[in-house]
Amino acid sequence: MHTRGLPLKKLGLVIGDWRDLERLFKYLKDSGYRIIGPKVDGNVIKLKELKSLREFPKQISDHQAPGYYRLEEGDFFRNGDDSPKKYLFPPKMEIFKVNRDLSISFREIEKVKIAFFGIKSCDTASITIMDKVLGERGDSFYKHFRKELFIVTENCIKPGENCFCSSMGTGPRVQSGFDISFTRIDGKILFEAGSERGVKILEKLKLPHANAKLKKKFIEVLEKAAEKAKANFEKRFLAEKLELAIESPIWKELAEKCLGCGNCTMVCPTCFCFDIYDEVFLDEYSKRVRYWDSCFTYKHAEVAGGHFRPELWARYRQWLLHKFSYWKRQFDMLGCVGCGRCITWCPVGIDIRKAVEKVLKWVDENVR
Amino acid sequence: MNIKLAVFKFASCDGCQLQILNMEDEILQLTGKIEIAYFMEATSRKLEEPYDIALVEGSISTKWQEKHIEKIRANSKYLIAIGACATAGGIQALRNWSKNEDYSKKVYPKPEWIDTLAESKPISDYVNVDYEVRGCPVNKDQLLWILSQLIIGKEPFTPTHSLCIQCKIEGNTCIMVADGKPCLGPITMAGCGALCPKYNRGCYGCFGPMDASQAEKLAEHFINMGMSKREVTLMFKGFTSWSKPFRKVVSKYGGDED
Ligand code: SF4
Ligand code: SF4
Ligand code: SF4
Ligand code: SF4
Repeated sequence: MHTRGLPLKKLGLVIGDWRDLERLFKYLKDSGYRIIGPKVDGNVIKLKELKSLREFPKQISDHQAPGYYRLEEGDFFRNGDDSPKKYLFPPKMEIFKVNRDLSISFREIEKVKIAFFGIKSCDTASITIMDKVLGERGDSFYKHFRKELFIVTENCIKPGENCFCSSMGTGPRVQSGFDISFTRIDGKILFEAGSERGVKILEKLKLPHANAKLKKKFIEVLEKAAEKAKANFEKRFLAEKLELAIESPIWKELAEKCLGCGNCTMVCPTCFCFDIYDEVFLDEYSKRVRYWDSCFTYKHAEVAGGHFRPELWARYRQWLLHKFSYWKRQFDMLGCVGCGRCITWCPVGIDIRKAVEKVLKWVDENVR
Repeated sequence: MNIKLAVFKFASCDGCQLQILNMEDEILQLTGKIEIAYFMEATSRKLEEPYDIALVEGSISTKWQEKHIEKIRANSKYLIAIGACATAGGIQALRNWSKNEDYSKKVYPKPEWIDTLAESKPISDYVNVDYEVRGCPVNKDQLLWILSQLIIGKEPFTPTHSLCIQCKIEGNTCIMVADGKPCLGPITMAGCGALCPKYNRGCYGCFGPMDASQAEKLAEHFINMGMSKREVTLMFKGFTSWSKPFRKVVSKYGGDED
C-alpha cells in the first residue's frame, strides 16, 4: 500500500506555489468555511482556526521522540497533541438538558462549515475510521459536522521519528478520504484532487499540469518518506497474529512502566471512549454531558458485581489489542493510523511500535 | 424541608471553608434548599443537631478531635470530608515522619502545653466517610457539584481517574513531554481543572492519588529523568504525603530525612 505505481487522481498533479495555496485558502474562506489548521500555540502545534495562511507553521519543525516533543526551526512539521478528533468528537459536549419541569431541551447544533487545512495523511485516515465508528453508528452531532467537512491534506515529505503510517497503510501520501492534497516539493506546491468537489475547486485555480520530471520527483520524495515512516511489522495478518498472544505473560512486562494515566488514549485520533455525566444546576436544569474517557482508568471496566480488568497490564492489553486486533472484527479495519502521538505524549515514553513487535516475537516463538 | 448543612473544622487552615464563602454567585443555587445549621466561619448562629450533611475540613491531630469527630458522625446523615487535610492528613502530616517533641521544642516557648496525637491523619482513619472532596483547597465547582447532586437526590459522583485525562480534555499541552518538567498529574486524581499545568507548572498532587495510582513507578521515572532521591521525595512529600501511594514513595526515597 505504498505510493509505488499508484495512478494519479482524476485531474492529475497540478503545479503551483505558495501563493496558489493562499488562493485555495482564500477560496475556501470566501465560500463560508471556517478553516481549522495547524498553528503554533506556545510550545506545540495545535489544530486551531486559521484566519490566514500566514498562521500556518511554514518554518517550523516538531522534534518528536518517545515522551518528547519540541518545536524547532525547520521546514516541515508533522503533528501536535491534538487531532481532528477534537472537532469530530469534542472532549466535552452537552447532549441535552432536563429542565426542572422534566421537559428536555436538546442542544442546538451550531451550523458551521469546517475545512481542515493542512492536516496530514494519518489524520485524514483517522477521519475515515471515525466515519465508521461514530458516523455509521448514528452520532447525530458527528453526522452533521461531517456532512459539510472539507479536507485539504498535506502529504508528508519528511516523516517524524515516531511516524509509522507507512506500515499501517495510511500515509505518508494520502490515498483516500480527502478533497484536495498538496505537497511541498522543491519550493513548489503540487496539488491533487481526491473528490469531485476537490476537482471543481482545483479547476478554478487554473494551474498547469506537472511535467514528467516533477511527477517523478513527487513519487521519489514520497517513496523515500514511506520508507522512513515504517515500523518493524506489517499490517498483513497483524490482527490475527496479535490475538494469538491474548493469554501471553508478556503483557505484564509491556505494561511495566505504564502509569495508567490515559494520555495515549486522549491524544489518539481514533480512540472514542466516552463517559456520560449528569451535571446538576439546581435552579435551572440538569445537563447530560459527554466527556472523553479512557480504557486505562480503573473504573472503565468495573461493573456491578465485578471487574473485567482490575490489573493495569490487562488494561494495557485491552488498549493495544483493541487498536490493532479487535478493531478489525468490530469495524473491518484497524484502529491505528500510525501517527505516533501515543508514543510522543506518553509521559514515560512507552513505544507502541516496540510493544507490537515484542508481542509478534512472542507469538512467533510460542505459538505453533 | 430545607437540608441542614453543617461545616466543621479540625486541624486545617480554613481555606476549604473559604471556598464555600467564595461561591458568591453559585451559592444562590443553594439558598432556599439548604439551611446553614453550623458554620462558625460564616455565622455564630447554631441549630440543633442532627444534621443532614456535615462538611468536615481538617485532619485529626488531637485527642479531643478524635472524640469530636465521632460525635459529628453520629449526628450527621452524610459526612463529607473536604480538602487534603481531611482526606489525606494534609501538610501537617509531614510531622508524621518525625518526632513531635522535636518540633514542639523548636516552635513553642512552652512545649509542655502542646497536647497532640503522634500523627495527623485523615477523617476516614477514624470514622466512616460517605464522600470525599479532594484538593488544597477544594475546587468550589466540584464541591457545588457534589452538594447539588446530593440535594437533588442523586448519588454524588466525581471522576477518580488521572489528572492527565482532565488536562487533555482542557486542551493543555503536557509540560512533562513538551517542557521536560516533572508533573504528578499521571498519578493524581482529577478535579482541580488541571490548574497547575495550565499555568505551565507541574502538578504537585494536592488532589492526592487517583484510583490505582502508580506513584512508585512515576517516582522511578523521575529518577530516570535525572532527579535526585531528595528531589523526588520532596515532590511526593507535600499536601497529600500521608496518602498510602505517596507515603510509599516517601519511605522508599526519603526515609526519615526531613
Ligand atoms: S504518520 Fe505519516 S502521515 Fe502522519 S505525520 Fe507521520 S509521516 Fe505524516
Ligand atoms: S495508537 Fe498511537 S500511533 Fe496509532 S493512531 Fe493512536 S495515537 Fe496514533
Ligand atoms: S501507555 Fe503511557 S500514556 Fe498510556 S496509560 Fe500507560 S503511561 Fe499513560
Ligand atoms: S502536564 Fe501533567 S497532568 Fe497534564 S498531561 Fe502532562 S503529566 Fe499529565
